[in-house]
Amino acid sequence: MRISISRTKWISIAAVAFMLLLWKVLAAHFDSDFILPHPEDTLVKTLSLFGESQFLLVVGATILRGLLGFAISLVFGVSLGIAAGISNDFNAFLKPILVVLRSTPVIAIILLALIWLNANSVPIFIAILTMFPFICTNTIDGIRSVDKSLVEMAQVYRIGKLRIVREVYIPAIMPFIISGASSAMGIGWRAIIIGEVLSQPRYGIGTVMHSAQTFLNVDAVIAWTIIAVLLSYIFERIIRLTEKRIVVWRG
Amino acid sequence: MGLQIKNLHKSYEELLLFSNFNLDIAEGEITCILGPSGGGKTTLLNIIAGLVEPSGGNLVGFNDKVLSYIFQDTRLLPWKTVQENIEFVLRNSYSQTQRQTIANRFIKLVELTGFASYYPSQLSGGMRQRVAIARAFAYPSDLILMDEPLKGLDVKLKMSLLRSFSRIWQTDKRTVIFVTHDVDEALMLGHNIVVFNQTPIEVVAYKTITDSLFSRDLSAPKYTEIKSELLKVLNH
Repeated sequence: MRISISRTKWISIAAVAFMLLLWKVLAAHFDSDFILPHPEDTLVKTLSLFGESQFLLVVGATILRGLLGFAISLVFGVSLGIAAGISNDFNAFLKPILVVLRSTPVIAIILLALIWLNANSVPIFIAILTMFPFICTNTIDGIRSVDKSLVEMAQVYRIGKLRIVREVYIPAIMPFIISGASSAMGIGWRAIIIGEVLSQPRYGIGTVMHSAQTFLNVDAVIAWTIIAVLLSYIFERIIRLTEKRIVVWRG
Repeated sequence: MGLQIKNLHKSYEELLLFSNFNLDIAEGEITCILGPSGGGKTTLLNIIAGLVEPSGGNLVGFNDKVLSYIFQDTRLLPWKTVQENIEFVLRNSYSQTQRQTIANRFIKLVELTGFASYYPSQLSGGMRQRVAIARAFAYPSDLILMDEPLKGLDVKLKMSLLRSFSRIWQTDKRTVIFVTHDVDEALMLGHNIVVFNQTPIEVVAYKTITDSLFSRDLSAPKYTEIKSELLKVLNH
């Protein structure tokens, strides 16, 4: 175990300090809680949010939407990705759909979803449509990059098709699925919160951010933003830890 | 009986590799194939392994043979440990305890005791090739194909791998077809040494050496003589 903090870590810490300093300078300049509250006040506000009675409901609802959207995207992304990676015909069918999904502005999907769906499902729907293409594309790339010489080796040693899929293909695409999942999560949380801001479900980080904005509680808007960033960071760490456990074989 | 390649024909687009090519392979012996690189030696192994379709000809006696293949690029599964890589090819033939025993025995034979739980990325090139050799011998095959498995390794490592190989082969005398471009390797291991020329391939020399693998002294006059003879044909 290395305990010392490396040089680059110090530089990263300095970057955070720089942002806080800039914030402090701007807050002092405007000197108005309605434009930009001071960082220390915002920090107090953020900590106080944890004590609010509905905190768990609000954050829990957002996490639940995120995980549900992620799980659905993962199942469809990986299975359709494997199919498209193996069959050129299916890939030709799926490709334009993925291109359209990836290049449609999130706000356009939200506006349509607001018409079609109820407030609770809009954010989930948005999450699926933004996360699915990442996971699917990465899975296709993964299958494409499987070393054919390893498959040949398995065939020479008369390994059955099912075992080749399980023991050659799946482990080979795991790093691709994980990196797809990581970028999907990164963009997914943002999409969910935008969805919540606009669809206003009963509980959700986006919902409370929106009402805070309506009442010009700038400190609360920023405090909830910090919580959203933390949430995104925590899930990114979870994915990276999973990766370390699954991809131990990488030198 | 015996293994025969008869009237083999194979071409890649413009390049004619084999045309009416014939070769007999002695069973229970090591046959070394020498020849210029890029000359279709690997293609011949791949045809025998069923990985490449010939355009014509017959492989007599190969059909009912179970194969092991030692590839130049080892082809170990990066996500499996040394032990798991060897057991991977044994699943169809043995129970779990048998697999463990066999894998352990071969890990010991290639002198990798203590590395059973290492991943390929944690091993040197020579160690990885030894795992591939162990895998090939652990597999219950009748015929072992080897495609320049020692290419790119330094001389000391080569000699140590050749010795491991001879030692294992001595305990279990399977038919081996060993493709190489190195005359010394062929002299160390070959009972039969076949020399190919440029494409379309023909056999331009065939030498038989009856000495046991362990009594071969490449500096002895007998061997230097065969060596210069083979080199002459090869460089022609």
